[in-house]
Amino acid sequence: MVDSTPSYIRLENISKSFGAVHANRKINLDIYSGRIKALLGENGAGKSTLMSILAGQLQPDSGRILINGKPVAFSSTKAAINAGIGMVYQHFMLIDAMTVAENILLGQDKRFFLNPKKMKCLVKDLADRYELDIDPSARISNLSMGEKQRVEILKLLYRQSQFLIFDEPTAVLAPQETGHLFDALKQMAKQGKAIVFISHKLDEVLEIADEIAVLRHGQVVGTLDAADVSSKSELARLMVGREIMLQIEKQPLEPKQMVLKVEGLSNNLLENIDLEVRQGEILGIVGVSGNGQKPLVETICGLHPPETGEVFILGQPWNRFFLQRPWENALSYIPEDRQGLGVCMGLDLVDNFLLTTREGFSSGPWLNKRKAEIKAKGLIEAFGVKPGNVRALARQLSGGNLQKMVLAREFYRKPRLIVAEQPTQGLDIAATEDVWNLLLKAREKTGILLITGDLSEALTLSDRIAVMFEGRIMDTFSTSDTEKTRQIGLMMAGIAPV
Amino acid sequence: MFKFIIKKRQAPLVWSSCLVFFGALVLSLAVSAIMLALQNKPPLTAMVLLFNGAFGSLLAIQDCLIKAVPIFLCSLGVAIAFRLQIWNIGAEGQYVLGAIGATWVALRFPDLPWFVVLPGMLATAFIAGGLWGLIPAVLKLYMRANEIIVTLMFNYLAILFLDYLVYGPWKDPVSFGFPMTREFSTSAIVGKIGHTQLNWGILLCIFSGVAIWIFFKYTRLGYELKASGENIKAARYAGLPYHRLVMLVLFLSGALAGWAGFLEASSTINRLQPSIVVGYGYTAIVVAWLARLNPISIGIASFLLAGLRVGLEHLQLDLQVPAAFGGIMEGLILLTVLAGSFFVDYRVSLGKKS
Ligand SMILES: Nc1ncnc2c1ncn2[C@@H]1O[C@H](COP(=O)(O)OP(=O)(O)O)[C@@H](O)[C@H]1O
Ligand SMILES: [Mg+2]
Repeated sequence: MVDSTPSYIRLENISKSFGAVHANRKINLDIYSGRIKALLGENGAGKSTLMSILAGQLQPDSGRILINGKPVAFSSTKAAINAGIGMVYQHFMLIDAMTVAENILLGQDKRFFLNPKKMKCLVKDLADRYELDIDPSARISNLSMGEKQRVEILKLLYRQSQFLIFDEPTAVLAPQETGHLFDALKQMAKQGKAIVFISHKLDEVLEIADEIAVLRHGQVVGTLDAADVSSKSELARLMVGREIMLQIEKQPLEPKQMVLKVEGLSNNLLENIDLEVRQGEILGIVGVSGNGQKPLVETICGLHPPETGEVFILGQPWNRFFLQRPWENALSYIPEDRQGLGVCMGLDLVDNFLLTTREGFSSGPWLNKRKAEIKAKGLIEAFGVKPGNVRALARQLSGGNLQKMVLAREFYRKPRLIVAEQPTQGLDIAATEDVWNLLLKAREKTGILLITGDLSEALTLSDRIAVMFEGRIMDTFSTSDTEKTRQIGLMMAGIAPV
Repeated sequence: MFKFIIKKRQAPLVWSSCLVFFGALVLSLAVSAIMLALQNKPPLTAMVLLFNGAFGSLLAIQDCLIKAVPIFLCSLGVAIAFRLQIWNIGAEGQYVLGAIGATWVALRFPDLPWFVVLPGMLATAFIAGGLWGLIPAVLKLYMRANEIIVTLMFNYLAILFLDYLVYGPWKDPVSFGFPMTREFSTSAIVGKIGHTQLNWGILLCIFSGVAIWIFFKYTRLGYELKASGENIKAARYAGLPYHRLVMLVLFLSGALAGWAGFLEASSTINRLQPSIVVGYGYTAIVVAWLARLNPISIGIASFLLAGLRVGLEHLQLDLQVPAAFGGIMEGLILLTVLAGSFFVDYRVSLGKKS
């Protein structure tokens, strides 16, 4: 069955801010039925925000949405669903204790009693039509992630959604399930549905999309026809930005003692990684996210032991370093997910300051809260965290101030090695500059491993750069090597430099 | 058209939480009155009877305080576990084990002086209740058994164990077949304060309350508990010992309930018998939520819900209201207060629909 009249959605000048963060800036986008549109962009580019606006989850600050030329406004997801727009979120919204069929029909049928047999038939027919393989009477709790995703898709199809949005659908899937999903997406497009596919993975986008829109820092920086894309590096470069260095004072330092050395590190996600970081330098790891940065960081920070290869921290092998307690002071990890991992949002700043520094403020079983409070107060002033009140809850701070708080805490511990993951993601320009200056200052006493998806950040801060692609280091070179820096885009796409 | 706009408050309002609490209390009493009217009981008389029965005389208030003691101790315990988001609903069983532990000392050493026997009972009750809480913790951590189910099941196990003891090995030979132990010797009984009906167990409550408060505010372990309860992922990131904390929390939780059981057996009944099991452990959960896990509020809420129990006894006698009505009222209060707490955390305003 193919829908007879092709339809389209137009987004016009959509803007949306969260406080000082412009998540979307004057975005224009067209989505056509029967086609697969990919939204490509780094984490924090604003993809989810844009699509949540289209799905009625968020309201735009300005701009409008038109369906087939008629302006519409969605005050809720329900309104959007009624207009035929449905979204499969990153987190599934299913009831574990119920069956597939019950989840799909839940709240859809106005009758009080449902005939289980009929329910099963309804769902089976629908699933067959779109070649989605699922057992209608299976319980959700027994399904794999891929199967759960199929249930979410069927929910939308049952509600006769014409526009289906998928927010990073492959993030939770095994490779072979990804293949099934792509088949289903193509099948749905063939039957006249409009598909929006959100991803930060170049290969996937090139495999599945008819059209590609690239987002960066809340703006559309390029719209291309998939057929016209000549090289992956072009896409990668669009995603992570121009190769420019921002004006920021950076003293050249003489690198000193080695603080991190990785030799031939391999596992199922990493391939023969060699790295060195010395005190007094910043090594920037750039690459499109999902190319092995996460497992690398997790090994260096002590979450998983190295399978093959060696990791030395402060000259000590991984095992020895993480076995002894004082490592807590020598290594500091500034996580990408600062709200979920770096702080407790419901506690005040003194308590959050204590989170990783409590060793220094306890004697026996007792905790010296007064001393901690005085220290925290001083640090908050020195780092310009606002509000300057240490009794404020972490959740009352903006993203930038929260990050400065985390840096203040981590620097206080005087670490020898800092692993900073996307340290300015989601921050406004002023806060970004503050964080950069703080990292540069910390570099005098420590070695910093900077993982970033923002090329200008890497170029501005790093002394040396390593480009990662599919779990490998493509090349490591000095930031002053203009020949190499010009080829970063190519390397991020997996093409070796000349 | 108008619609409601709901926004999360930056910080919960303090004064409004009192207002909401009493508003919800009034609402639940009103609903209870309607339910009484439906049973052809005079609702106003009943409310007056309820109030006077609970708080109308010095003797009544003393009765409330006596009942508030075990509720308070159990509630303090479950509140500590709830802080860490460990759902211990096994206070009832831990209370029973505490009573059993204390009784063992009382029966085994009837001739020792009180200053040896009572501390001994205090210690065994603490350990027995604590271990009864620790087992679900170990099962949770090492066999991934859900603590809600396990602690609940352990309540039934504990009660059956109690029955076995009082019908079997510990049965009083001269009880004419009633399931109960011998009466404790005087050295095993926590005495009354002066000429009142109150016993020295109240001191234990004050001690526990203050100790817990100090624990959370001034000790490192208390801080680690608070932080882990707030955000478990951040706690792991910061290297907090989650396994140890879970075991500690469930042990302490059970130990406090164990003390409640000890006091009930020793000072209120003076022996061990099945009738010590009256649901204090479940009321304690209601109290902990009503008080939002705050120790001082737990004291107040324990007293109020003890009052509800005492008042209802009068209703039962004078108006022949069924005993189950007490459970219904407890549930109503909990539901209205929980629903009301929404307004403490969120601001609701009216806006125009576009
Ligand atoms: N509810 C929110 N409150 C504050 N900031 C937000 C919120 N949602 C998203 N942001 C910010 O908006 C930016 C875009 O986020 P998002 O749309 O989720 O990006 P993407 O999906 O491309 O990774 C990020 O900087 C993010 O931190
Ligand atoms: Mg997203």
